[in-house]
Amino acid sequence: MSALVTLDAVSVRARGEAALENFSLAIAPGETVVLLGEPDCGKDEILQLLAGVPLKAEIAGTIRIRDGQAERAARFRGRGLRTAYLAGPYAQPFSPHASVAAQAARVIARKLDAPRPSARAEFGAALERLAGAPPLATFDALPGALGPEMLAWGLFAAAFAGTPDLLLADDPLSRLSPTQARAMAALLQAEQKRLGFALVYAAMSTEVVRWLGGRIVVLRHGKVVEEGPLSRLATAQAHAYTRTLFRAAPSLTLDAEKPRSQSRAEPVLQVHALEWRKNLEPRETVTFELRRGRALAFVGEKGSGRHALMRALLGLERVEAGHVVLDAVDIGILSEGMLMRLRRRVAFVTGSDEALDPRMLLWDTVTEPLRAHLRLPRGVIAESREAALKRVGMAGLKGDVPVAALSPFDRRRLQVARAIVGAPLLAVIDEPFHGLDAFAQSVMRDLLREFRESEGPAFLVITSDVAVAQALAEDAFVFAGGRIVERGSLAGIVKAPKAPQTKRLIEAVRPQETLSPPPSGG
Amino acid sequence: MSAAAETRVSPGLRTAIRAAGLSGLALIAIAVSLTDVIARAPADAVGRGPPLTPPSAAFPFGTDILGRDVLSETAHALTVTLANSGAALAVALAAGGFAGFLAARLPFRSGFVLRWAMGIFAAIPALLLAVLIVGIGGRDLWAVAAGLAAAPAGFVRAFDRARRLSAAPHAEYARASGIPASTLLKRDLVHEFRDTFLSIAARGLAAVAITLSTVSFFGFGAVPPHRDLGLMIAAARPTYLAAWWTAGFPALVLVLLILCARLAAALEEGERP
Amino acid sequence: MARFGLGQAGRFVLGLLGMGLIAAAVSALAAPHGHYPAALLARLADVAKLDFGPSTMAGTSAAAELARRLPATLELLGAGFAFALVLGAPLGLALSSGRVLRAAAPLIQIVAAAPVFCAGLVLIYIAVKAFGWRDLSFTGTSLFDAAMSGDAVALGHAFRVLVLPVAIVGGAGAACVNLAIRRALDEAAEQPYRRGLRLMGLPALDIDAFYVAPHVLARILADLGEIARALIAAAVVVESVFGWPGAADLFVKSVALHDWNVVALILVLFAVIALAAELIGNLSAALLTPAERAP
Repeated sequence: MSALVTLDAVSVRARGEAALENFSLAIAPGETVVLLGEPDCGKDEILQLLAGVPLKAEIAGTIRIRDGQAERAARFRGRGLRTAYLAGPYAQPFSPHASVAAQAARVIARKLDAPRPSARAEFGAALERLAGAPPLATFDALPGALGPEMLAWGLFAAAFAGTPDLLLADDPLSRLSPTQARAMAALLQAEQKRLGFALVYAAMSTEVVRWLGGRIVVLRHGKVVEEGPLSRLATAQAHAYTRTLFRAAPSLTLDAEKPRSQSRAEPVLQVHALEWRKNLEPRETVTFELRRGRALAFVGEKGSGRHALMRALLGLERVEAGHVVLDAVDIGILSEGMLMRLRRRVAFVTGSDEALDPRMLLWDTVTEPLRAHLRLPRGVIAESREAALKRVGMAGLKGDVPVAALSPFDRRRLQVARAIVGAPLLAVIDEPFHGLDAFAQSVMRDLLREFRESEGPAFLVITSDVAVAQALAEDAFVFAGGRIVERGSLAGIVKAPKAPQTKRLIEAVRPQETLSPPPSGG
Repeated sequence: MSAAAETRVSPGLRTAIRAAGLSGLALIAIAVSLTDVIARAPADAVGRGPPLTPPSAAFPFGTDILGRDVLSETAHALTVTLANSGAALAVALAAGGFAGFLAARLPFRSGFVLRWAMGIFAAIPALLLAVLIVGIGGRDLWAVAAGLAAAPAGFVRAFDRARRLSAAPHAEYARASGIPASTLLKRDLVHEFRDTFLSIAARGLAAVAITLSTVSFFGFGAVPPHRDLGLMIAAARPTYLAAWWTAGFPALVLVLLILCARLAAALEEGERP
Repeated sequence: MARFGLGQAGRFVLGLLGMGLIAAAVSALAAPHGHYPAALLARLADVAKLDFGPSTMAGTSAAAELARRLPATLELLGAGFAFALVLGAPLGLALSSGRVLRAAAPLIQIVAAAPVFCAGLVLIYIAVKAFGWRDLSFTGTSLFDAAMSGDAVALGHAFRVLVLPVAIVGGAGAACVNLAIRRALDEAAEQPYRRGLRLMGLPALDIDAFYVAPHVLARILADLGEIARALIAAAVVVESVFGWPGAADLFVKSVALHDWNVVALILVLFAVIALAAELIGNLSAALLTPAERAP
């Protein structure tokens, strides 16, 4: 069978640097090709070229559709090929000022050369075909009102409604919760089988690769490292770089050993009969203890109640009843001023890009907890700063770089450095791997483990990914619908989950399972 | 690719522009300090030469209708303009941006009342406000009036920005980890003022110089013999069509002063520091 | 949107109340020494009834005096605003190109550094010396009336009288319009949706027409208050330079002569224009770019 699209010796050079070098790829109709690599590996350029959108760069090589004439890649506009582009919701591909349905309808109308009312109907039909998708009327809201999870449905439906020959997926599943990501990956495969489109998926992490299967092309710095099926690349036969990618991301261990007996370090957090949710019937309270050096994970989907409990534990929200003792002090009896002083012993490491002040400089960000709380000589502060930055691997960066100029990975590490310097009793670790590629996740995981082992804070890990919880914590509470549906050691929960919500969360990250056989031609 | 990146001034060019502006201001300051040398006569000295003499070797800027040496008068007027602009700038910064920034830290209700009050004054064009203040308080308050007139807009901008910063996610995370309000205030002061103070001050100097000279042009500002550039230009109105130098040179010097201040701000036109 | 609209209306009403207080405070300055507090209370009651008292200068009521002078100012502001849009919009679009901006930047900086009264005097000089225009003083005949009369000489004179003041007032407004457009295009250029929609298959022209253009228009509308203030400030200077017998010139004269009732009324009028422009602008902008106003 002749290829649907063939890229031949395509090179992209931008600002004097090679973004893509001598890249060749033939995509068969209905095939799945996964482009796997870190950011800046060249996959963005490949997708943009295939989408027929001009790049401001020097471009060499050719692109051919089916058996047609090979066109210069720089001039390729995709004529003769129905292409759809599927972005992730966090990429904010829609204008914030118009409804999602209106924008999707305009895109579909353009693709199908149809009037907008028909295009809107097509969009609605595509939504109906997606099991679990909200109805069309939901998407008459602005993108900002919908949230990323809802928006993802709209993006998927808009891509499928155009009945494409080729679907270019720009990592649309990253940053979604594992449950939703897995469900949408299954829908993606089902639609691929139904419509017969070829799929080129740009991926940062290897979970998606395991779900989608197909042919994997591993890229690094614009060059192909190797390509082949998952059955070979996920084994010891693969290139060293590929093996590192596959080992880097946290994966669930189904038969982990239960941890040894509880540490006898002093308790950091003691919670007694805490009722943290208002108007919940029947009412629910929680009692537990968290000691130094231990880690407790709050696992659940967004909106399940994890953050509400965290805020109650830190006195950021009023509680209905119960007691929280933080560092041997009942926070319920403290004034706001005293509570503020107590919170100095709490540090945050979050997956939010907005957690750090973008105006601040790198060095100032690290040392602010010291300067704010203690009167230390400059030399001592500088020493602490250097030590912390060395531990997170950022000692080589200039200290007067503003946070806004740092990459998301560097900002994440900077949060760890800031936490180290603050010497907290309790560290809140909130989706620490959100939006990071496999390598970065591996580095962050090691940093956080080393931080806990050497400084000994207690960890409160908040995540929707059981694998992440298992990588960072020993015990867990599983949340759903504002309640704790299961609790215990993570090893025990993973081995024998009881609650259906827990089973779903575990299923979403169960390793080495594709969702369904890949379509023929892959 | 973005028009934004195309239009944005490169750091090197921005530094060069700022250097040019600061050099210009420095030269103006030197000229002001050497007024006694540059001006060959005291201020408002009539009959130094024949009236309405064109520029010549004897009178490089010509003479005006009363025979005053325009070069001397311009030098004296520049001193008055610069001194009063400096005073007005200090008032504008203190009562405007700085006060607005601090007011945003007040409890919600007090802050709301102050914001509302300043918002009313900000709805009145600064020029009218300056004329009104001078009309009520007297011409002695001319420089202070120009500063007070510029203050409300600066207050409102700084207040709104400070409130937005206070509600930003990074501020919430900082508070949740025990960073006190004083540290957050210091953080904002450093990044909103210290790092951009030169730009704010230079842009403010340009704005108050325009207001001051316009108020004087209307006759509400400087009083002879201590005329400023605006009053000089106003006085030359009956004669400048026949004798362009009587208004031309003071206007040129005024535009140069404002231009140097704008360049020293090193901002693109319309960019806020 | 309804909540936003109510909020904006509330701000407008609070602004009017504030201006009423200021007007009463200014108007009460006419009271004899030592009687200010009582006069302030009395003036508050009068201002609430929209009675601004008599003009000490003209002998008539302040409102009548303003009504006599207002049409000339409104003509100047209206024509200036139209000129600001016609000049400012293409200027803003042209200067959004880096090449054009870099070439034009020195000239822009010099023009922006010139106070309005300097610009006015320079234009008069050029008009007189280069074009031989004489007698640029206001005659009392509007351009519209001159056009209706069919008298070419009168029409030419009315045009010459109007063009320079409108050009200067409009120029001040054009500066604000051009800045609003450039800031909006700057913001839009960095928005991820431009790339996202482009990759999804919408042509660049469609994206600019349906999503960027409303954003640019909304920015101009959101800055309507600032544009109004710039026009009013320029009108004050232009009326003085060109001898235009409008309300802005009346304000300056009234302050000089301490006719506080007239000063108060004109202050209220100009502030109401600016506040109304801000209200209309913000509401219109919210319709075009609802996400920026969402709570």
